[in-house]
Amino acid sequence: MDPNKNVIVKIEDLHKSYGQEEVLKGISLDILEGEVVILVGPSGTGKSTLLRCINQLTVPDAGRVWVRDVELTDPKTNIDLARQHIGMVFQSFDLFNHLTALDNIMLGLVHVLKMDKDAAREKAMMELDRVGLANKYENYPGQLSGGQKQRVAIARSLAMEPVVMLFDEPTSALDPELIGEVLVVMKNLALDGMTMLCVTHEIGFARDVSTRIVFMEHGNIVEQGPPEIILNNPKLERTRQFLGKISDLH
Amino acid sequence: MDYLTYLSIAIPKLMAGLLISFKVTLVSLLIGVLIGVPAAFARVYGPKWMQRIVIVFIEVIRGTPALVQLFLVYYGLPQFGVTFSALTSAYIALGLNSGAYQTEYFRGAIQAISSGQMQAARSIGMTRMQAIRLVILPQAFRLVIPAWSNEVVSMIKISSILYLVAVPEMMTVAKELYARYFNPFQTYITVGVVYLIIIGIITYLLGLVEKRMKIPGMELDKRSA
Repeated sequence: MDPNKNVIVKIEDLHKSYGQEEVLKGISLDILEGEVVILVGPSGTGKSTLLRCINQLTVPDAGRVWVRDVELTDPKTNIDLARQHIGMVFQSFDLFNHLTALDNIMLGLVHVLKMDKDAAREKAMMELDRVGLANKYENYPGQLSGGQKQRVAIARSLAMEPVVMLFDEPTSALDPELIGEVLVVMKNLALDGMTMLCVTHEIGFARDVSTRIVFMEHGNIVEQGPPEIILNNPKLERTRQFLGKISDLH
Repeated sequence: MDYLTYLSIAIPKLMAGLLISFKVTLVSLLIGVLIGVPAAFARVYGPKWMQRIVIVFIEVIRGTPALVQLFLVYYGLPQFGVTFSALTSAYIALGLNSGAYQTEYFRGAIQAISSGQMQAARSIGMTRMQAIRLVILPQAFRLVIPAWSNEVVSMIKISSILYLVAVPEMMTVAKELYARYFNPFQTYITVGVVYLIIIGIITYLLGLVEKRMKIPGMELDKRSA
């Protein structure tokens, strides 16, 4: 890690249990400005929970999280304010069903950032253009393909000018032929220098785009490092085994 | 007197009664919405104690006949020095009654909206109230229309119990008519047909509203996708 870069996300000894089951067993992780960190690991190992604990959509049992200099786990922090600048993209897209693509993006600009309508519309159009969907601005989510929905969802997050983007399996719900268009958008975002933390099984994307791969299992970080090392020459047999399996699939 | 002559006398009187039935229905539905929407949100998103209050309210209202509720307000409360006119009693009793049912309808609509909608709204920094107002409510209002149409129809019919507290709605008028012309069959057939026509029209109109409000691309159930 480059010590000259700012820490954007700092996670310290994070714990989370659901009933008897401890899903996060004391995770610590720092993400630096401009890093693209890929979280991989078998399902049920707490990757999504970790992501959701960052913006407190899931409240951790113990441990602390900072984004920039704001501690999100501090009960005195205005969490709504903090979330404005933490983008999140979900597996199920979750576009607002009753609004057009453009209005989906404008809603946060107008009601959260309090931009005036004309400025918000202009900004929203720009973001739609950035994900290649300017021509779909009048379409409702029900009139878009899965890949298009996810691109609009990314644009909705980007419009808020986040300091970090969290991706929770953004392509897992997509038909294979639609995955590429979403990955292209994500790749361009990475090239633009966006700080990203991404749960995905897309190993090709991890190889091409990521700066670091973090392998999680059973609520712990097992191994992490640059993609060329983790993918080609991991220290642990378990990492090799798992990555071998998903590389066969993808 | 032949039936047509009878009708020419009866219809204007029945219409006057119908207007009162309408008025009671409308006011009750309105009170019902004002109770139902917040109660439904309390039921889904509120703290446990609030949810319990709402559940008890719903169960008590749904588990007792509307007529008992009306009599409790109209005949029961004066015993404690609280007296309302028959019409006001009707608004209170039927408003509460409709409120309980509408709570359930709105709860169903809110719960049909995927939880991802709330999460996505919160993730861009909306407060819970903003998410409810800007994302959940507009969708819930659309989803509730079919169930809500039933409630409208049901309230129109229930309003006939006001006959029993002598509010001059349509059934009260009918009773007066047949007492005068000794033709209960013709009278109640006429009343029945009037209800049927009115409810037919309202169902049709609400169907149009539903179609009109439909979210493009959501004709099939793609809500969760």
